[in-house]
This record gives sequence, C-alpha cells and structure tokens, in this order.
Amino acid sequence: MTSLLLRRLGFSLFSLVVVSLLLFVLTRSIPESPARIVLGDDATAAQIAAFDRDHGLDQPIVVQYAAWLERVVLAGDLGQSFTTGLSMNRQIADTFPVTMELVVVAFVVASMLSIVLGTLSAFYRDSPIDYFARLLAVLGVSIPGFWLALVLILTFAVDLDWFPPGGFVPLSEGLGPHLLSIALPCFCLAVFYLAVITRMTRSSLLEVLNQDYMRTARASGLGRGRLLMYAMRNALLPVVTIAGVSFGHMFGWALIIEQIFNIGGMSRALLTAINQRDYFMVQTVVMVFTIVFVLANLLADLVNAWLNPRLAAVAS
Amino acid sequence: MRRIAGLTRRTALRGGSTVAATALSGALSGAWIRNARAGANGTLTVALSDNPLTCDPINMTSHDTMIISQSIWENLLEFDVDGTLKPQLAKALPEISADKLVYTFELRDDVAFHNGKPLAAEDVKYSFEYMLDPQNKASRRPIFDRLSHVEIDGPHRLRVILKEPYSPWVFFQTKHMGIWPKGSRHEFGDDYFKLSPKGVGTGPGMFEEWKPNDYVSLVRNPNYWQKGKPAWDRLVVKYVPEDASRVAYLLSGQIDLMGAPPPRDFTSLKKRSGIDGDTRGTFGGWTALLLNSKRPPFDDVNFRRAIAHAVDRETITKRIFYGLVERSAIPAPASSWWFNPEADKSLAYDLDKAKHYLKQSKYAQGASFELMTSAVPYLLDTKDCVVFLQSEFAKLGIDVKLRLADAAVINPAMFRGTYDAMFRHLMSPGEPTYFLSQNFLPNQFMSEVGGYRNPKIDELLKVVFAENDEKKLKPVYDQMMQLLADESPYVWVGYFNATNLWRKRVAGFKPSRGLTINVHDATLG
Repeated sequence: MTSLLLRRLGFSLFSLVVVSLLLFVLTRSIPESPARIVLGDDATAAQIAAFDRDHGLDQPIVVQYAAWLERVVLAGDLGQSFTTGLSMNRQIADTFPVTMELVVVAFVVASMLSIVLGTLSAFYRDSPIDYFARLLAVLGVSIPGFWLALVLILTFAVDLDWFPPGGFVPLSEGLGPHLLSIALPCFCLAVFYLAVITRMTRSSLLEVLNQDYMRTARASGLGRGRLLMYAMRNALLPVVTIAGVSFGHMFGWALIIEQIFNIGGMSRALLTAINQRDYFMVQTVVMVFTIVFVLANLLADLVNAWLNPRLAAVAS
Repeated sequence: MRRIAGLTRRTALRGGSTVAATALSGALSGAWIRNARAGANGTLTVALSDNPLTCDPINMTSHDTMIISQSIWENLLEFDVDGTLKPQLAKALPEISADKLVYTFELRDDVAFHNGKPLAAEDVKYSFEYMLDPQNKASRRPIFDRLSHVEIDGPHRLRVILKEPYSPWVFFQTKHMGIWPKGSRHEFGDDYFKLSPKGVGTGPGMFEEWKPNDYVSLVRNPNYWQKGKPAWDRLVVKYVPEDASRVAYLLSGQIDLMGAPPPRDFTSLKKRSGIDGDTRGTFGGWTALLLNSKRPPFDDVNFRRAIAHAVDRETITKRIFYGLVERSAIPAPASSWWFNPEADKSLAYDLDKAKHYLKQSKYAQGASFELMTSAVPYLLDTKDCVVFLQSEFAKLGIDVKLRLADAAVINPAMFRGTYDAMFRHLMSPGEPTYFLSQNFLPNQFMSEVGGYRNPKIDELLKVVFAENDEKKLKPVYDQMMQLLADESPYVWVGYFNATNLWRKRVAGFKPSRGLTINVHDATLG
C-alpha cells in the first residue's frame, strides 16, 4: 500500500509540473499583450511596451516560468491579477470555497443517490424501480446542463419564486438563504453525474451478481444483506474510479453552472480571466483545478486499493 | 404500536411532518426570500453584462461600467441623458476665446469631495495635469493631446489652454476624466483609484465595496451638491454576464435595472407586468462594416460603393436588431444635428446601383473577401447580421468568407489593419468627430483601421475643430457626410441604441444617449 501511495504521489507531482509548464507556455503564447485590456484599445505601442516591461512580460518564457515557480513554491505567492490588480491568493481564497462547496454538495448527493438507485435497479432488475432508474439515467445524461438550469430558473425562481434566480448567499447570512441559493445550482451540477454513476453501479453490480461465486453464495443460503455486502465490494471498484474522475469533471461543469446562476466561484473567475486575457489568473485557476483533479484521482486509486487489496499487491 | 410519552410513532411522525412542511413552505415563500434581502428598499441594483476592471475614469474602457466612475466622479461638463452638453462642476458652459485656444470655466462653490474638502480650481488643475502626464499612463490621454495646460484664475475660476483649436475635447472629458482632490493621486496611488476610491470624488455615490467578478457598491453621498439627490441609499452594480440570467434577475426582483437586454426579447419583456423599458438612439454608437481600403477588393472606390448600395439597412435594423439600431448610411445618427439626409439617401439600398458600380470596378468579374466579426457579443450580437450580409453580397456574385473571432484576435486585427472587412459595434463620446478623426486622420490610435486617407477630410475636420457653433458647423458636416457617402470608406448601417429594462419601482430613469446608464435622477418607489 505504501509503495502504491508513493508511486501515485510521485506521478501526481510529475503531472503537476508538466501541466504547470504547459499552462505557462500556452497562456503566454497569445499574441496580444494583456495591456490592451488593461490600458484600453487606444493604448499606444509605447504604453504597451512599458506595461510589458513593468510586469516582466518582455522576458523569455523560461525566465518568467522560473520566477513564477520560485515565487509560488518558496513564498506561496500566486501573484497579482493584471486586470483587477488584486492578489490572486485572495481571489482564490474568495472563490475556491464557493466552487468547492457546490461541487462537494452535488457530488455527495449524486454519489449517494446514484449508488442507492443503481443498487436497487440491479437487485430488482426489470422491475418498475429498474425502469425508473434507467429512465432517470437516460434523462440525466441527455438533458443539457445549461438548458436544465434555465428551465429551473424560469420555473422555480421566476414563476414560482421559490428560489433566488442566481447568486451565492454566504452561510454567514443565514442557513436558509444559503441553502436556497445553492439548491438549484447543485441540483443541475449533480444530475449528469447521478445518471452516469447510477448506470455504472447498476451494470457493475449486475456483472458481479452473475459471477459463479455469487451464485454459490446464494445457493449456500446467504441473506440478501450479506450478498449485497460481498457484491458491492467488487462492484464498487469501477464506480469509485468513475466517481473520482467525475469529481474533477464537476469543476469543469461548474463553469457553466456558475455562469448561468451568476455565482462568483472559481469557475466563473476562470471564464472572466479568459475573456480578459488575465494570464496569471487563468494559469492559477487551471492549476488549482488540476490539483483537485489529480488529488481526486489519487484518492479514488487509494480507495480502490483498500476495497481490493490485490491492486495494492500488484503495485508492490 | 409503540408509544412514547403518550404519542404513537405515527402521530409523532405526522406532527413532525406538519411542522417541517410549515417551516419549509415559509422558508420557500417568495416573500421570505425577498425579506431576506435586508435593506433592499433603498438599494438600487443594476445588472451589467460587462465586468468592471477598474473604477478609475482615466482607465475605464467599457462604456457600460462607466456607471461606476460617473457616479463617483464628476467633470466640468456633463453629457446628460438627453445628449445635451451641460455644466456639471462648472457653473456654466465655458467662455471660449476668439482664437478658440482658451476655455474659461467658473466652478460651483458649493461642491465638496466625499472626504469633505471643498472643490477648488487647484483640484481641477491637478486632475488635468495628472491625466495629461504620459508617466501616469492614462489610457485615454492621446485624445487630450491638444490640451496644453490649465491656469488658475481664482479659487473657483480656471482656464484650459489648448495647443491648437480642438472643440470636441469638452465632450471627451465627460467620459474619460474625473476631478479628484489635489495631491490625492500621489498620496494614495493608482491602485487606490482603481480598486477602492474612497473620499476622492464629488459624485452622488461614494465607493463602498468591490467584490471582484460580482459587484461594486456605492453609498449615497449625503453632502451631494444637488440637494435631494440621489434618491437611493445604495447603488449596487452587479456583473451578470448571461442574458437569460440578467432577465431572470429582473423578473424575479433581484435587480432593479438592467443593461443590454436581449434584443429579440426586449419588446415582450417591457410589456410584462412590473417591468418598464425604453430604447433611445445614441450619438456615438457606430454599427458599421469597416472596410480595409489598403486591401483588395476595397482598394477600389466603385467596389466600396457597390457594397454600400447592397446593404439593406432597413431589414438589418428592424428585423435583425429588432429596432435597437437606428438606421443611417452615414456616420451621423438620423436624430442628430449633423445628419445629412441627402447624403443618407444617396446610399439607399439598391441592387441595380450596386451592380452598376460593381461593373465599373476592377472587380466586375466578382470578388471575395473575409468578413470578421465578434464571436462573443459586444453590445449586440452581430452573427446573424453577417450571415445576412453574406447572402446579400452573394446576389452580386461576391463571395464572403465569414470569420468569427474573440476580442483577443479581432481587436489587434482592427488596430493593425490586418483584415479585409469587419462588422462591429463601436462606441464613442456623443459627438461627431471622435471616430472620424481617429479613423481618417493620420497618427491617431485607430489610423491603421481602414487605411483610408483623404486630404479633404483632414481639411474639413480642421475647420470643425476650430468652431463650436452648430449652425456654422452644419454646412461643413453636410459636405463631409456627402464626401464620406461618395467615397464609402466604410459602410455604415446605423447607430445602436441605449436600451434598458427596469422594474416599475424605479422612476425618473431614462436610457442615456451617451449609452452609459445614468441613475442620478432615478427614484425608488
């Protein structure tokens, strides 16, 4: 297990270095200086050159990367946004918890419901509950998230006035308003993954339930609860892998959800930074997303190794 | 059934469910949600599609977000919502010397900055000097290049001295300037003016807070010199980029006023109960096909004329932009004093004339060019329009290749002149010379845009710069408009409107002909 952990950690670190380098090169390959955005369309060439010089943008990319890496690793300083002029540490601190909360709530809801639904669907195959779960899964993967979000806003916020149409109310302003503000976005974010994990749980569990050893267990008179426990341990392996990947993907989906629900999270900050050609901010947000993605996958691997010790043994 | 303290489990569950349902329905009622937004009654919330990058008026690039700078700061003169140049911090319009080089202003003596310091002539001198100093990198400094310096003539009297006659500067200062206390820039630094400018303006709103990518809030200036204004306690300028979300915010009462409503929904939305809306022509909003005269096929004047006659402006303005663009074939809005109806008529939609000019051009056998437009809508979406133009030009045998690009590609291409043709909405201060001089005079920041040069235009603009009287200017503009119609360096489709929707509780509001939302006179019901 330790060996697996070390190998996965090493690979994760390597991935992060490669991604950071790629990001750095890509964000600085855009031909136009961000000075155009900051100084306006009528900025002169001299003003743009002065801006580039002040911000070190006239240096070779390797020099810029080394300086950035040194500042991030040694000082924990993510730098300053070109456009807002604010510290990126502060911007990440302001926006990351918002996105994280949306994703975690959506992920927990999606995972719990989907595992229950997928299990029931597999256990009661071709029953009404199975049809219902399969229909839900098809709908979940078919309905575009942005469309669903707009329909929900129109119905539950504009027409019925049950939820706010957008915005994020911090917990400090009350539990009720806070929950209401995240209910629709979390639901929209969860639907797709609820469908995907439900389908995965169902098919994986069906496959395990049809194995010889499960038939033998049933023939030996094991109760349903005990059977489920044995079956789930094996059936959950692909489900955990998919869930790990889904958690990372949810940060990507949050880009659309935060935009439609007008939530000032990190995904929204990324989109804004892209539009404003705020290199440092784009790079920082994508790096944070990458770290989350890598950590989620690492965690999924470790959970899988715990569920199935043979994986850890193979890695050793 | 198991009983606990005299209750059956079923009774307990039923009771619990009732309590939970009551609490939930209370929590979910619209009234509860609205009440949860404490203090909303005195707060005017405006939603914009643009994200503010700065509060500083000398570096503000978006006309939308100027609502922030124009609520915090004021200028000597203002361009009011009806498009009239009026005194603001000055008592009256300036006295202009006979040689048009000296503008004398008398300042109001009842104005104080948000920090309590009374406004004086030395503050105005300091503000102009700061903006004009190239070291301070004011993004709009080049348009004030012809200003020499400011002289103080008394505590509330000053003279702005020009290097050469240049009448439009008074319009430019209404948008791209501000007056701040003497010494404040050096005391607080640029970032202070950009991010948290407290105490340094004279306007109706005092900076309160900026939450990046979310909102900027201002509070009422209790000592505002226009007594009784503003009528709001707090102004929240919220960034809501999605059209549908902005509309949902308005309909559900989360905002009071919105900028850039979706054109196709504007008419139906303003008819909804509780919602009001209006659209008014701007004096500076070009909707135009920018042609690059340095590149074929636009290097031929007859080809440009053919294109100008092949544009069905009526259909474009009414059907594609749903009436939110005012039709004009020349660089003058139909409702402006410098509009020349004859010049406008001379470019009427006429495919026969278009074919006639095409035959006379060196591209009589047909031509092709690339038409760029913005992939991400700026002010109004242009994508439907370029598809329509493509089909119209195809009737003449002209092959148009469409290219959608984002701002990172389209703006550099425009400024460097590395394009064939480009369909864009561009906004300028509400007077005629800004775009004309920037596009057609040499050594301006947009000089490379179209590549068109004509000494006659230079000559006419020089006359315009040296005159302030509209009556004397009208024949000069008539001549210039006819010349531009004949030469068609660009193809003008019209002037886009300032369009807003608001909730009926907002009264006294009108869309501004300068485009930027002005809420100085808005009251809340």
